[in-house]
Amino acid sequence: MRMNRYFSTILALLIVCLLFAQEASARKKSGDMDLANAKTAAKKTSLLGQAEARLIEIYQLIAKSESTSALAKAESLVADFPNFQLAQLVYGDLLAARIRPVKSVGDVPELQLKGAEAVLSQLREESQLRLKALRERPASGAIPSEFLALSSSNKHAIAIDASRSRLYLFENQSSGLALIADFYISVGKSGLEKSTEGDLRTPLGIYFITSNLDPKTLKNFYGSGALPINYPNILDTKRGKTGSGIWLHGTPPEQFSRPPKATDGCVVLSNPDLLQIIRTVEVRTTPVVISKRLNWVSQGTTQLTKKSFELALNEWRIAKSNGNVEKALDYYSPDFSSFGMSLPEWTPSLRSEVKKAKGREIVLKDLSMLHWSDSGETMVVTFGEVLAGRLTGPIKRQYWSLQSKQWKIFFEGVI
Amino acid sequence: MSYLEYFPSSVLRLLVVVFMLTNANVHADEYSDVNQLIRSEKLGEAMVKVEAFLVAKPRDPQMRFLKGVIQRISGKQTEAINTFSKLTEDFPELPEPYNNLAVLYAGQGNFEKARTSLEMAIRTNPSYATAHENLGDVYARLASQAYGSALQLEGANAAVPPKLALIKEVFKSNIKTQAGANPSPANSSTVATVTPAPAPTKTTPNISPTPSAAPAAPLANPAAPPAPVTAMPSAVTATLPPPPQAKPVVLDKASKEVEAAVLAWAKAWAAKDMNTYLGAYGKEFVPPGNQTRAVWEQERKKRILGKSNITLKLENLNVTVNANKATVKFHQVYKANALAVSSRKTLSLTKQGNDWQITKESTGN
Repeated sequence: MRMNRYFSTILALLIVCLLFAQEASARKKSGDMDLANAKTAAKKTSLLGQAEARLIEIYQLIAKSESTSALAKAESLVADFPNFQLAQLVYGDLLAARIRPVKSVGDVPELQLKGAEAVLSQLREESQLRLKALRERPASGAIPSEFLALSSSNKHAIAIDASRSRLYLFENQSSGLALIADFYISVGKSGLEKSTEGDLRTPLGIYFITSNLDPKTLKNFYGSGALPINYPNILDTKRGKTGSGIWLHGTPPEQFSRPPKATDGCVVLSNPDLLQIIRTVEVRTTPVVISKRLNWVSQGTTQLTKKSFELALNEWRIAKSNGNVEKALDYYSPDFSSFGMSLPEWTPSLRSEVKKAKGREIVLKDLSMLHWSDSGETMVVTFGEVLAGRLTGPIKRQYWSLQSKQWKIFFEGVI
Repeated sequence: MSYLEYFPSSVLRLLVVVFMLTNANVHADEYSDVNQLIRSEKLGEAMVKVEAFLVAKPRDPQMRFLKGVIQRISGKQTEAINTFSKLTEDFPELPEPYNNLAVLYAGQGNFEKARTSLEMAIRTNPSYATAHENLGDVYARLASQAYGSALQLEGANAAVPPKLALIKEVFKSNIKTQAGANPSPANSSTVATVTPAPAPTKTTPNISPTPSAAPAAPLANPAAPPAPVTAMPSAVTATLPPPPQAKPVVLDKASKEVEAAVLAWAKAWAAKDMNTYLGAYGKEFVPPGNQTRAVWEQERKKRILGKSNITLKLENLNVTVNANKATVKFHQVYKANALAVSSRKTLSLTKQGNDWQITKESTGN
């Protein structure tokens, strides 16, 4: 009894210290995340994957010195997920605490630890990142700054914060974009910003899910399925980036959850979490933003950027609607490239479209605008280009870049 | 805490055997006969006796318990598990079958089941040192397995499995009589308290625990007997602070008198002073097993005077007084010749005139 209280205090202190250490470093970046209090955080556990929610509950019980309940829940968790290594680690600690003081998370005796120090270190990192995700929540109603506008045909959206090892899933509701779930993820062994084939990095940028692969056709390694994304996208290709096969996929049967930096560049989720995503999102329309660190803003904040871009978009639309090809061409960048065609090679098709329109106004239906900032400013725009009076038109995607304070199209194509 | 010790160090301790202090009744003879046969490794004979006995008394817990022990030692693990399991169903208040079930499960590598069984043993008897120590070993093992899974270590189960201590006999006082009161108390049996063997041997469990371990093991006794078990105190590591000694609950005059009476009784016993010893028991004392007072006294004389040396140690005395009635619970370590028996004792005393006299003596809670 005395011993258990002793242990519980130590472990609770450890966890609280971990959390406060994270909080301290997070405060440095201003305006990013609201540091929710414990009650709100606890409420949010309903958004987390089920296995993780149970793990967090165990942490909370430990922090409250309820070691007996914690042990019971840990036993149950590892029974349900025997390959959830982090849960086994915590379970081991709780058992060990019955008979000796536990000095740290994963207090494995030295003799047993031999050779596995790296694994232990990765598990501790995973633990910290999961806890951090619980502790540091985005402000209610805030969204990543990339989502300038989503059309109603974008029923869902995904944003990945690679440094937090977290994937956020949004639903596009009438009141705006709403966070409905978030999950722990693993990214590339060598880190971020993929640029070449085989560099074991996860790409950064704005992507779309291109397909949904049947798990039966895949190796066990990929777990419950795979959602490939379109790396390299148009911007990546323009920058000369190579590589392929970047998927969102699951885990092999013997490993429920992988270390934070473990993959060959893919984004990996535990199988139940991936299944939840697969069952929710739509292929081809769902954007996947992958950022080193997401910038969460209120939905009104992006208005300025949006308005200034929309001016350019509108002027292009009007010029094309008026049949003014020369004016329209002003909005195309000299380094334009579309399916291998340079601007001069592509211009005839523009003229032919204008001719077919016969002066009817162009309406942009189901418009979505996604904003990517890195060394440059890029806008990924998708819409249905519908002529007034018609019901449908081709779905087009354009990539715009900001060049000397002017927005210009460097890719346009039907998707 | 107080103790008496006479002839402390000259006792040779080569073996420990389960030992009955008094032959309370015919059945006690039969149990001890079976025990003797087990000890002499005459398992076939022992089983014959057991089966014969159980024909007439199929429900008898002690004999069924011994049957399980024989099965276990004979290597009939499944039958042993069956026997002990049925005992836990018929007599859920007995901790010993649970403990031995745990030993069997641990032997099969099923430490989760071992843990559950030990927790049941402790639930029925919170001060059961053996179960606590075994449970500590099981926790260590389970922790090691969990860590092994966490780190995906090869051969996580290759480490030496802990040797859990088997209980050889059911405490008679744990068996409730029809009247509900504590039955024949005079038998006290060995509590097989053992620290895990450091040498890696995977054979039979410790049958003969060394006596030096028995008294030394710190009993994690809660000072107040009816306290519910809230958490498992550990009895294994040296880094733990020593468990709290039973504090004298009431320091008033009455308690001191009662305590003095108990100590005098123990002193007389160790000194083989039969007059004082027998005189400590009042007229209302009911001898165990329907013996008459005279027969019982003869037995005691035979048993006590038959020893060359007796050492008695009383620990963790807990005295409660209510007007002219008192109850004293303590841990008794009895050593005589080559034997050592340690048990939890309860004495009921009544004040007659100026003297506190024993009216009831039982082993266990």
